[in-house]
Amino acid sequence: MNAALQLAGIRKSFDGALALDGASFESRSGEVHALLGENGAGKSSLMNVAAGLYAPDAGSISINGAPISLNGPASARSHGIGMVHQHFKLVRPFTVAENVLLANPQPHFASGLRDIRDAIKKQVDALKFSIDPNRRIDTMTVAEQQQAEIVKVLVGGAKILILDEPTAVLTDAEAIGLLEIVQRLARSGTAVVLVTHKLQDVKRYADVVTIMRGGKTVATLDPRHSTAEELTELTVGQTSALPERTPHQGGETRLNVGALTYTRGDGRTMLNNTSFYVRAGEIYGIAGVSGNGQAELAEALIGAIEPSTGEIWVDGAGDISHAGQAKRREAAIAAIPADRYAYALAGSLPIQDNLAVAQIRSGRYGSIVRLDRAAMRRDAIAAVKEYDVQGVRSVKQKASLLSGGNAQKLVIAREFSREPEVVVAHSPSRGLDARACAAVHQRLIAARERGAAIVLISEDLDEILSLSDRIGVMTRGAIVAEFERPADRQAIGRAMVDHA
Amino acid sequence: MTPPAPATPRGFGRLTLDVRQNLPPWKQAVFVGSSLILGLAISVAILAVAGIPPLTLVSELAGVLTAENLRGVLIQAAPLILVGLGASLAFRIGFWNLGIEGQMIFGGIFAAAISIYDIGPPATRLLLMGMAAALGGGLWVLLVVFLKLRFRVNEIIATLLLNYVAMYFLFHLLYGAWQDSKTAFPQSTPFRPFERLADIGYGVNSGLLIALAGVLAAGWLIHLSRIGFYTRFISANPKMAKVVGVPVQAATIWIIAISGACSGLAGFVNVASQEGRLTQSFANGYVFSGVLIAFLSRNDPIVVAIVGFLIAVLFITGQTLQVFYQIPFTMVQMIEAIIVIAVASSEFLIRHRIRWIR
Repeated sequence: MNAALQLAGIRKSFDGALALDGASFESRSGEVHALLGENGAGKSSLMNVAAGLYAPDAGSISINGAPISLNGPASARSHGIGMVHQHFKLVRPFTVAENVLLANPQPHFASGLRDIRDAIKKQVDALKFSIDPNRRIDTMTVAEQQQAEIVKVLVGGAKILILDEPTAVLTDAEAIGLLEIVQRLARSGTAVVLVTHKLQDVKRYADVVTIMRGGKTVATLDPRHSTAEELTELTVGQTSALPERTPHQGGETRLNVGALTYTRGDGRTMLNNTSFYVRAGEIYGIAGVSGNGQAELAEALIGAIEPSTGEIWVDGAGDISHAGQAKRREAAIAAIPADRYAYALAGSLPIQDNLAVAQIRSGRYGSIVRLDRAAMRRDAIAAVKEYDVQGVRSVKQKASLLSGGNAQKLVIAREFSREPEVVVAHSPSRGLDARACAAVHQRLIAARERGAAIVLISEDLDEILSLSDRIGVMTRGAIVAEFERPADRQAIGRAMVDHA
Repeated sequence: MTPPAPATPRGFGRLTLDVRQNLPPWKQAVFVGSSLILGLAISVAILAVAGIPPLTLVSELAGVLTAENLRGVLIQAAPLILVGLGASLAFRIGFWNLGIEGQMIFGGIFAAAISIYDIGPPATRLLLMGMAAALGGGLWVLLVVFLKLRFRVNEIIATLLLNYVAMYFLFHLLYGAWQDSKTAFPQSTPFRPFERLADIGYGVNSGLLIALAGVLAAGWLIHLSRIGFYTRFISANPKMAKVVGVPVQAATIWIIAISGACSGLAGFVNVASQEGRLTQSFANGYVFSGVLIAFLSRNDPIVVAIVGFLIAVLFITGQTLQVFYQIPFTMVQMIEAIIVIAVASSEFLIRHRIRWIR
């Protein structure tokens, strides 16, 4: 029997960074096929290729043995491929029926809406879902919205259903309910692809599992005949030799995070008693599956959000968890956030302004009444040269014209110009090519040698392992395990999934 | 179950929108310029329907060049430039200040209070009135700033509706404690001669000098001072501005207070020159003009001066038409609205490319 969906030798790079490196994948009708891997392994990228969202640089896609070419999500849909994304693609003020209609246009609106309602009812009954086609999305729970997404895809006639991390947003009971329904759906002839990083779900509900690592598919096997340890090992890979370097001096504690908690606007607790300390001349890596509070921890450390309780103590400045900007400046924290254009750069403003803004208050660039643009320009030209920022024709050009890696170098140039004592770096090499990535790592190591305390939050375990002196594993908003360098990759991998 | 078939697009093709990456400045100018001409053409057509032949319109516009009308334009330009500055400063940091009339009213009330309670020696009386007006306008808008920062109240609605509160408070004074006892009209007693803006020649009063000083000060504030540097980051990316240490809240409060002060000064210029007393209607219609001027000048203080002058020409021509052709003043406001819509649509064309796909 031919595979319902076959992807062979798929390659895809973004901005010079290779996301998929010859990945292959086959899914059959009647099976739940799990796609397992760490964050950044390429799972979502591969499935976005299958759903027509990304055009692959190389490789082939076939449906039931016949090669096809996709030129967009609509053509994937017409081939029966439907994807439910991690972040739902629903229009919130619309009803379920209207959303389904929007995704599956009908020649006549009124009669189309009636037909769609009937089609939804059939699907809802068949799947034993509980949603009403006339309810507005914004009145529904996350689990119900997910049902609406699945129904939307199935009404479109999908024979191949791709679910991207479907249980990430659900409670345990909801997750079990969903996975049982998905299993039943597969039994009735649909090919289901379950993108996940949860071993438990794979062991219990998948018929086949394909494991991805570093943009490649490394193994396809039957999860019922392999142990959790084997699967973990395949997911995180073998420990590579760590680069040699001087052992850290074990300086004074520079940063102490004590029992930090943070509850988001929607009531979810993202930080739940996070505690750790970082000494001078030390890189403290925070590993974990994304969505376990790392983003909120980084935001609290750089002052983008205020934690609910707990303290962020910095040597020389005291507790800055609720401090104003004056006290934060005393703490001299350099912030290298994950989302550069959200927290580090104003894309519509010139490079020289973006570089000068952090030190404008010190009077380096003129007094309150008169800006010294010449000094800004001079420093900007020097910084661009020193930090090897490429693609700068003029320091007056917009920062948004720089590529990801060069924008990151710009951020580092600004943040390190102040000789920071504490550095908070969140996924500093996300989206960078190998050369830019190495440059960023070099800067972090140089700051360590100089005696700065560095917090490195990253979902890339290799990055954490090669740079960190100590590693904390973060799960559900807390540090659940700590490891000294050289840390055991398998042990960290287990700590990451055991507590999830 | 048979899934409903997806619809195929019918007809010969369809319109699609692409987002433009970059458009050279001269092309942008062409778009803005041609929409402006289109807006004016529509206005001329409407006036023609209302009974004013286009040729007469041309001669009326030429009539602005008479000394009498030019004087009117220069007097009218002063408050318009000031409200244009007020609006553009607030818009620069994304605060939609639609409370210009309320701020003008409180500027006028504060200035009149100095006159009515006879505060300070005559020599510094005007200066004191001007400062009081700026304070009045600033305090009235800071009320909304407080509501926005503390309770997240939407400033568009709050500033707009507080205009009515200010207006009825003004009525309360003019029909009550401050009513002119001699005439029994709802007006304050006339200001003393030394409380009026002096002539600087050709019958033009010093209000124009205040407006031009305001243009220079705002130009310095935005382009040369440190707070202007902050405002660019606050409007480009407020989250980032906070993280890199820009004093977002302080800078925001200052800029909005200055915006209110500009409108307050416009109120002062109106009561201390044209009217010479506090009247019921000295602030009428200025919200819309202020927004229009800020919008057409793209919030640049220097351009505000030019656009403010052109809108004054429109005002004075409108007044002439009103007198000689019985055109209601709302017609002038409608022309303003047409020009705003025309320029706003050119903004859309600058950002998007419309294509017909077959």
